[in-house]
Amino acid sequence: MALDNENPLILSASELPTRKQRRKNKELSSKQHAVKDMLSSKLCSADPFDLSDSSDTDSNDSVEPIDEMEIYDLIAPISDPEHPLSLESLGVVKLQDVHLVSPNDLTNPAALSRVLVELTPTVSHCSLATVIGLGVRVRLEQALPPSYRVEVKIKKDTHSQADEVNKQLSDKERVAAALENENLMSILRTMMKTCTE
Amino acid sequence: RAWVSIPNPNGLPLIATATSDKTVRVYSLRNFTLHSMLEGGHSRSVRSVAWQPAVKNTGTLCLATGSFDATMGIWRRREERFADNEDSDNDDDWEFAIVLEGHDSEVKNVAYSPSGQWLASCSRDKSIWIWEEIGDEGDDEFETVAVLQEHTADVKCVSWRKDDGNGEILASGSYDDTIRFFKGDDEGEWSCISTLEGHAGTVWSLDWEPEVSQKQIPRLLSSSADCTIRVWSKTWECTATLPTAHDLPIYSVSWGKKTGRVVSTGGDGKIVIYEERTKGRTSVGGAIEREWVIVGVLAGGHGPYEINHVTWCTRFDSGKTADGEEMIVTTGDDGVVRAWAL
Repeated sequence: MALDNENPLILSASELPTRKQRRKNKELSSKQHAVKDMLSSKLCSADPFDLSDSSDTDSNDSVEPIDEMEIYDLIAPISDPEHPLSLESLGVVKLQDVHLVSPNDLTNPAALSRVLVELTPTVSHCSLATVIGLGVRVRLEQALPPSYRVEVKIKKDTHSQADEVNKQLSDKERVAAALENENLMSILRTMMKTCTE
Repeated sequence: RAWVSIPNPNGLPLIATATSDKTVRVYSLRNFTLHSMLEGGHSRSVRSVAWQPAVKNTGTLCLATGSFDATMGIWRRREERFADNEDSDNDDDWEFAIVLEGHDSEVKNVAYSPSGQWLASCSRDKSIWIWEEIGDEGDDEFETVAVLQEHTADVKCVSWRKDDGNGEILASGSYDDTIRFFKGDDEGEWSCISTLEGHAGTVWSLDWEPEVSQKQIPRLLSSSADCTIRVWSKTWECTATLPTAHDLPIYSVSWGKKTGRVVSTGGDGKIVIYEERTKGRTSVGGAIEREWVIVGVLAGGHGPYEINHVTWCTRFDSGKTADGEEMIVTTGDDGVVRAWAL
């Protein structure tokens, strides 16, 4: 099967965003551990979105609110399904395309945070845009607390079928059913391997 | 997560909840404890469940389930004197009687027609199937009466309208943003009789007006990913849009039988209640204007989790103050089903 994009543009390390001090984020690593368990174990009765094992870290969330950089760090290392390269180095995810709207009142347990991630596919007709988008959405939904509403969209004017892809990615029922599809799940697991290594 | 909770329509104090753990749990509405479970019939999430309307007093409960595994199940359970039975240990369990295959992808919704004659199912494969049980009671034979393929994308929900003398009409809501009506003619040929456009996003949920006087035609309520709830009537146009309260897709609406109030819920985790009020006449001798107003909003009913389903439900518990009093039951991504009183 011919690759969609045989010559992707790869960004060098100096072009990528860095943080002066990569602070050791305890809750992030424990969530990564939970994600790794979920992705590697047989999901017979577990709901993919069940975050019950990481509920004890909830108390940390109100102390250290999550910012765009952390969200970016969660998705930057995801591998492209076609190339052994990260979405970050392919320029598919960019820090400036990660948007976070936090509620004013963080003490309100019902307050929702909104995350919007815009993806830039490597080519305008990339047929794997939906899979990449699904990978980003799943990664964030599993790693972020349940009060975060995740929206993943293809960046405007970067893809010929952006509207169709966006509608699929925003349909929770379609996403839920896709996650019960073993073939798709194995592709996603491969993509996520680079996140927890 | 839990997807939907459907109260028994035959007056029994039971409610059935379909969940992503491939089972359906039936709860008692008298004391809110687990009554029974339907398991082993599906290989993926159960997305939808429907009680068969009681036509004859056969002492059998019957449920239809719709699953992401693209099949439907018909389940039966013998129930002799339900009212005296608080302890379910002696009862027979649910028997997985038949599996109905036909859809190419996930079944999203199943619904029996009010008369119990037909069972409708809809799927991501864009089609709606109408099934009829043939043969004698307990033969477990189903026939596919129609396969309706007018929608251009996944069909998310189906809802039957009571027979008004012209037959039972089936309404469907779809990922293609439209609502369609289907009816069978005298020869048993089903066709699409109307297409309702107006929503700017997937139509997630439908509900018909429950109580109308003889001459009136029930109106249809729809909720969508475009964050609006619309009322459709007369020649099937959108005659009202409820005031905006949600900022994320509205997964479910329910029109209350006792109060005429509407309750909605969705991705933003809010439970919103609306009421229709008389505004007064706009001109002398003119028609009485009515408008919808929001009478209550509850945010975070299931904490930060999305709420997938909401329904009005008759109360049977000891806290009820009147016969036929209704409460609200919500079903959420936290896997929890909650009952609310106003």
